[in-house]
Amino acid sequence: MSGEVLVLALVVGAANWAFRYLPIRFGLGSGGGAGGGDGVLARFLAAVGPAAIATLFVASSLPFVQAGAVAAPLAGTAGVVAVWVWRRSVVLATLAGAVAYAAGFALAG
Amino acid sequence: MDARQETFTAGLVTALPIGLGYFPIAFAFGVAATGAGLSGWEAAALSVIIYAGASQFLALALLTSGAALPVAAFTLIAMNLRHVLYGPALMKAAGGGAGKRHAWLWAWGLTDEVFGAALGEIARGKRFSEAGMFGLGLLPYAAWISGTVAGALAGGGALEGWPVLQAGLGFLLPALFLALLLSILTRPQVPVITVAGLACVAGTLAVSSTGGILGGMVAGALAGVLRRARG
Repeated sequence: MSGEVLVLALVVGAANWAFRYLPIRFGLGSGGGAGGGDGVLARFLAAVGPAAIATLFVASSLPFVQAGAVAAPLAGTAGVVAVWVWRRSVVLATLAGAVAYAAGFALAG
Repeated sequence: MDARQETFTAGLVTALPIGLGYFPIAFAFGVAATGAGLSGWEAAALSVIIYAGASQFLALALLTSGAALPVAAFTLIAMNLRHVLYGPALMKAAGGGAGKRHAWLWAWGLTDEVFGAALGEIARGKRFSEAGMFGLGLLPYAAWISGTVAGALAGGGALEGWPVLQAGLGFLLPALFLALLLSILTRPQVPVITVAGLACVAGTLAVSSTGGILGGMVAGALAGVLRRARG
């Protein structure tokens, strides 16, 4: 393995670990920590979750929209919503969305 | 509210669509890495040590373009800065007294999707547990590494003969995020979600996909702060 690849991986990996763990280690967001209570930081952190999920949904959907295909993404979206309303299961809704998207892709193709 | 504690097994089940979504993406990474001249070991090492999809693809581009190591490292680290927000947001949702004794290990698995799924479980009334976090994080990590290895071994074009399967697998992550969004959707969250979505689109079009993601999260969270401050 080349030294450059290994060094890059170790430096970036260490930073990733620090980003994911150290804020928890130092109590940000915990009840008694700096993010607890009802302060601005606490409200900010409470809103981060919904904002992150909405953002990641939009970010992962944009390439499909930019590609110009309509039928398959609509079928996939409808599949997710329909199964979610029916069963209230994230797992089933996700798998149904992928199947519906694949079906739409095959039919439109 | 259903206050059942998230178990390791329940975490594994919840993580199933994430793992199914990760595998083909990691497969594509393995194919791209070996295509860019990395060995199978190097491709696998990037997935084991970095474990962040978008930045791994960017790492390939930087390595093959001959970017200086400090520049490449700084770029990739900046790309993952958003992860700083996940732990605190998760612990805030988990409530006071949530265990974090083994967080040094399970926090490694706190990717975008695992974070979203963990938050969704709490929103649906499951009580946070470290065992659940291990279950939630293990399957996606295993899928990411095994997908990379499979892709590196298969080489280019392995999924090209199965376009419908490839299409369905490619939609798994948007489908997962939509399902998670539905699972946490409440009227008070609508302004946060709307602002985050619009800011993500604007940031992506104006700057980059990474800029859009970071901008969407921060703008949505700020909208949450402002809304509550007014309310």
